[in-house]
Amino acid sequence: MKIRSLALLLLTVIFVFGCSSKDKSEKPKIAVVVSTLNNPWFVMLAESAAKNAEKLGYEAKIFDSQNNPAVESDNFENLISSGYDAILLNPTDSDGSISNVLKAKTAGIPVFCMDREINADDAATSQILSDNYSGCVSIGIEFVKELNEKGNYVEILGLVGDNNTWARSGGFHSVVDKFPNLKMVAQQSGNFDRNKAMEVLETIMQANPDIDAVFCGNDAMAMGAFQALQSAGKAYKVKIFGFDGAGDVIEKIREKKIVATGMQFPLIMAETAAKYADEYFKGRRNFPQRVPVEVELVNAANIKDY
Amino acid sequence: MLTLGYNSVYFKKLSVVKAATKENFDFKAYADSIYYKGILKSKKITLSDLTSLMQSNPETTFEKYGNRLGIGNSAYFMIQSTGKIIDIKDGLYTIADEKNGIVYIDTKYIFGNAIRDASGLVKLTDFKTNAQFNKVSESLNDIIRNDVIPKEISKVKVGDSISFSGAIKLSKKQNLQEKISVIPSQIKLQ
Repeated sequence: MKIRSLALLLLTVIFVFGCSSKDKSEKPKIAVVVSTLNNPWFVMLAESAAKNAEKLGYEAKIFDSQNNPAVESDNFENLISSGYDAILLNPTDSDGSISNVLKAKTAGIPVFCMDREINADDAATSQILSDNYSGCVSIGIEFVKELNEKGNYVEILGLVGDNNTWARSGGFHSVVDKFPNLKMVAQQSGNFDRNKAMEVLETIMQANPDIDAVFCGNDAMAMGAFQALQSAGKAYKVKIFGFDGAGDVIEKIREKKIVATGMQFPLIMAETAAKYADEYFKGRRNFPQRVPVEVELVNAANIKDY
Repeated sequence: MLTLGYNSVYFKKLSVVKAATKENFDFKAYADSIYYKGILKSKKITLSDLTSLMQSNPETTFEKYGNRLGIGNSAYFMIQSTGKIIDIKDGLYTIADEKNGIVYIDTKYIFGNAIRDASGLVKLTDFKTNAQFNKVSESLNDIIRNDVIPKEISKVKVGDSISFSGAIKLSKKQNLQEKISVIPSQIKLQ
């Protein structure tokens, strides 16, 4: 009986440690979990994070959460059981992603959030985030000046569950709402998606044909808004504002078809997240919980610099 | 047959999300204390000292006098200076600064994190989320834009000499010959 119990114990030990421990010569593995690969901006963020991790000598793999916290949860379960050593995360939802990050934390895997914030300051090891609020304050000021403080406008929001959506909207409204002759006739989510934003604006314009401006929570939606306005023959009458600094919007600013955007620096966020993971493996444990990355206003006045 | 299911789609009403961001913390009282007990009483570098140090040693100047949260090419500085008002247009005061040439004071667009960050008095770690941290700026800006500056500028006109303090944003590559724009924290008739 004793021998049988001992054998069972031994088997359990072999099973547990055999599954979770790594050969010391094996390179640590870094998972890049990204909210979506259906948007070029996030593709760039994910690929850059993976490339930086590889450059630092680690094995890296990208996981697509398809803008769905449940898929993100599956991704986390898979990569925890597959023995990943660190996660560079672009979360799907500021609240919905917390439990996933905590699962990794419980498993002893550090998580470095990129670009999107989660509403907890004790779950992720560090969060490297664009300073969306300040960027959109600058856009708000530009908006007020461009419209001479009066007019009707539409706001197309990003994903409702993403903090970036509200940080951008909050920064913009902290300025624009102080000018009573600027009237928001509609505010609707375009899910950060170009086609969705185009459809949303087309519908809004049926009820509100006389608008002077559109503020979009990202550049993909600004491009969608541009398409909707172009189809309606209003592309030059209605002023469009975006956020991201995407290449096609920078070109449209150059052509004076879009007024302004906020330039984010995804490559810096990805590089910093990979660098932090590397430092974590080398023993660093004290990281700032949130690291804001500056956003720069791009408009006709400084487009030559971009 | 076993069927497994989960919520693959999450819906949230805009009003619910907006309501959830409201906090019980008294941002106005906190901002009052930061402004009256902190910013007004803090020692500020003169604009002429700052520009001279920026030309001779920008790295050290940024480190010693600049405040930047996180990563970026620019930093905020809290400065003070004096000069004569030579023009007032739509809230923009053009100042012939005795030592720095033309300086602009923008009394209309007192928004964003310039004053909060230039002061160096509020730490990101003091607040749980960025949204709360940004609310400090909004309350601070409201005090300055709605209460302090309107009272102070009602006493000044073109031709008056004033002393002023406030936040400026500089990048390490900044051309100091370009216009310097100050977001004011205080304007006083001399």
